[in-house]
Amino acid sequence: MDEKCNQIWQKLSVALKPQVSADTYKRWFSAVQLTSASKDSLTLRVPNNIYQFWIESNHMPALEAAIVSTFGGRRTVKFLCAVEDGSVAEQAERSDESKSPSASERKQDGSALGLNPRNTFESFVVGPNNEIAHAASLAVAQSPAKTYNPLFIYGGVGLGKTHLMQAIGQYVYGGKKNSRVMYLSSELFINEFIDAIQHNNLVKFRKRYRQADLLLIDDIQFLGGKERSQEEFFHTFNTLFDGHKQIVLSSDRPASEIANLEHRLVSRFEWGLTAELQPPAVETRMAILRKKARTLHIKLRDEIFDFLATRIRTNVRRLEGALMRVASFASLSGKELTQEVAEHLLKDILQEEARRSVTIDQIQKRVAEHFDVRIADMTSKRRPANIAFPRQVAMYLARELTKASLNEIGDAFGGRDHGTVLHACKLVKRRMQEQDKIRQTISFIDSALQR
Amino acid sequence: MKFSVTKEKLLEGLQQVQNVVSTRTTLPILSNVLLQASGNEVHLTTTDLDVGVRGSFEAQVEKEGATTLPARRLFSIIRELPSSEIQIDVDGKNAASIRSGQSFFKILGLPEEEFPPLPKFENSKDVTIRQKDLRDSLRKTSYAISTDETRYVLNGVLFSFKENKLTLVATDGRRLAMADIELEFPRSHEADIIVPTKAVTELQRLLEEDGDVKVSVGSGQIAFDLNNTLLVSKLIEGNYPNYRQVIPSETKERVTLEREIFLNSLRRVSLLASDKSNSIKLNFSKNNIDITANTPEVGEARESLPVVYKGRDFSIAFNPEFLMAPLRNLTEDEVFLDLIDEMSPGVLKIQTPFLYVLMPMRISS
Repeated sequence: MDEKCNQIWQKLSVALKPQVSADTYKRWFSAVQLTSASKDSLTLRVPNNIYQFWIESNHMPALEAAIVSTFGGRRTVKFLCAVEDGSVAEQAERSDESKSPSASERKQDGSALGLNPRNTFESFVVGPNNEIAHAASLAVAQSPAKTYNPLFIYGGVGLGKTHLMQAIGQYVYGGKKNSRVMYLSSELFINEFIDAIQHNNLVKFRKRYRQADLLLIDDIQFLGGKERSQEEFFHTFNTLFDGHKQIVLSSDRPASEIANLEHRLVSRFEWGLTAELQPPAVETRMAILRKKARTLHIKLRDEIFDFLATRIRTNVRRLEGALMRVASFASLSGKELTQEVAEHLLKDILQEEARRSVTIDQIQKRVAEHFDVRIADMTSKRRPANIAFPRQVAMYLARELTKASLNEIGDAFGGRDHGTVLHACKLVKRRMQEQDKIRQTISFIDSALQR
Repeated sequence: MKFSVTKEKLLEGLQQVQNVVSTRTTLPILSNVLLQASGNEVHLTTTDLDVGVRGSFEAQVEKEGATTLPARRLFSIIRELPSSEIQIDVDGKNAASIRSGQSFFKILGLPEEEFPPLPKFENSKDVTIRQKDLRDSLRKTSYAISTDETRYVLNGVLFSFKENKLTLVATDGRRLAMADIELEFPRSHEADIIVPTKAVTELQRLLEEDGDVKVSVGSGQIAFDLNNTLLVSKLIEGNYPNYRQVIPSETKERVTLEREIFLNSLRRVSLLASDKSNSIKLNFSKNNIDITANTPEVGEARESLPVVYKGRDFSIAFNPEFLMAPLRNLTEDEVFLDLIDEMSPGVLKIQTPFLYVLMPMRISS
């Protein structure tokens, strides 16, 4: 390859020389090496960044002309700065030195970054439901941008997405104080973007985000439907990715199922590793409760733990809330806690649990599975009968089982309007009355969802 | 906290610090100014976490104390007050009552404890420079700072302390400005640091004709102590590119130009340089330069400038804005323009250690 590259560079040089002055060639191009050449790009290795800056700013027209005349077509030119050994050592040294003062200035624990100091890897309870996500997060935290980039974590509410992301942020921040860690929700990103447009300081906005060493964006699904923000984020993403900076994203659903998200973003989100968080199994829930109780110095009887872990199954946040409620009652009233008392205390939560909140995603998944259509068909524009009817069933179930409005349901089904959803509901209801088989099918799916 | 002060003194004090105030909305405390009253003066501090400024003004302090108040709002109120005597009284809940003549304002602040302290400097390397020297050198270089945020190491001025010389460098990839200041400092103080644009801008505002400025370089940060005002800034991390690579080693032709006359000619001719091609041509012939610009479908401009020139005839094109920027910021009467050929960079020099390298534009003919 090296031989071949050398030959290509020789050819290119011949075409380049008449384009620039002899001094310019000697000064800027004689030290350049071609390290790789493909059908559409060339990578040039330059001794240091001044070569890149100067060639990019001043000699690109000449270089491009030479490329066209040599290859008969355009190539994107990438630069690679050979870092001198000396400067690397120097940089490392400097970052060591600066630890003490700049660290105190930034606050020790990274809470200035908006990270909750409680959300660390140590406090995360690992179970079979979140093993992969945890392992991937840890790998990313230990060597950012080396393993999985971007890391995309998704899962339902209260399953630990934010916890994992903040843990990554704190791990990286704690390991090297000089690394620029940015943690924010996509909503904040959008707001700041709007703010920047309003006050006309996009440059500053870009600078802030594009210089991050680690960018953590929570709840990325809110980018859906925000076109300008998506575009801005797309460029931020590319800049960071090309600069070998780690990006971590979280969402409540897989990237491909986020409504109104541009394809180029979806494909980028799916580029690295996608890790799913599932609701914890009963053993894991037990472990979470015990760990939480220990950190809060709560003492409860085993049967109460057992009761909580078996009855509250969907959501870790709710589980912790229930623990708090039970514990605070115990400490305030001073009475011994029995299962009956706990049941009474947690009446509302348990009822809610029993009904078990169903999400539109789950409905779509379940219905698609049952009718053997692809889940993408739920949101697609195609409407042959074998797809349209399952989609209508799913809309009907979404209307019945969730609190979502007609509009929200329409959006979740590929941006359909509320009239379409209303029509689907009426149609399914009518057909349920007319045909027993359909009624059975739907009640079967219904019960499977409510399980 | 309670104090009385004249409008002029308070305004002057606020003007020194208010430009730093953050426009970021995420941390409300950063849009506030910290006021600390003690003895017979009040200290003002603002910061955006990257750059911080601390100044003070004289006042009759009746009750010592500290608070933070929204800087922009405070400034606009004070500016409009009718009388020159102002009394500010802050209660325990950080609500400030401002009385002046017939006016009364009450604005709500935030507690002092929330205000991030300016970084401490320990084991810093200190150098003292005459304010005038630093101001002039910054003026000669800072216009060349890059605004391209992808090349963040160029978003500031390089301060290179080496061999009893402070060299300031700014470049954006098309031009490079460099100025030296002679200084005495021990070998151990040698360092290359990059001071970000915002700090440079603020510093230029604060530097005066007389007096000295004490520069303290800590790890990752720098402080400029100007007697009664202190400016602290984070440094840009990274290595500044090897700028010496850019400076041509030879020169073929040198012309001596009257700065003002040359600048005025350029300014006139550049009126007809279009935004698109945006170039201005210098045509050299014996003892004469023809400065021309032409834009298809708009028109053309030409101006001759008699000079002493005995070299070969040739033409070179520059971006007029880039050529005028140093001429505007220099104060010397005479400048030298060194050239090699139409494709090599031009170098602008003066009698004192200063240098401006400018890449020519390609002449399409």
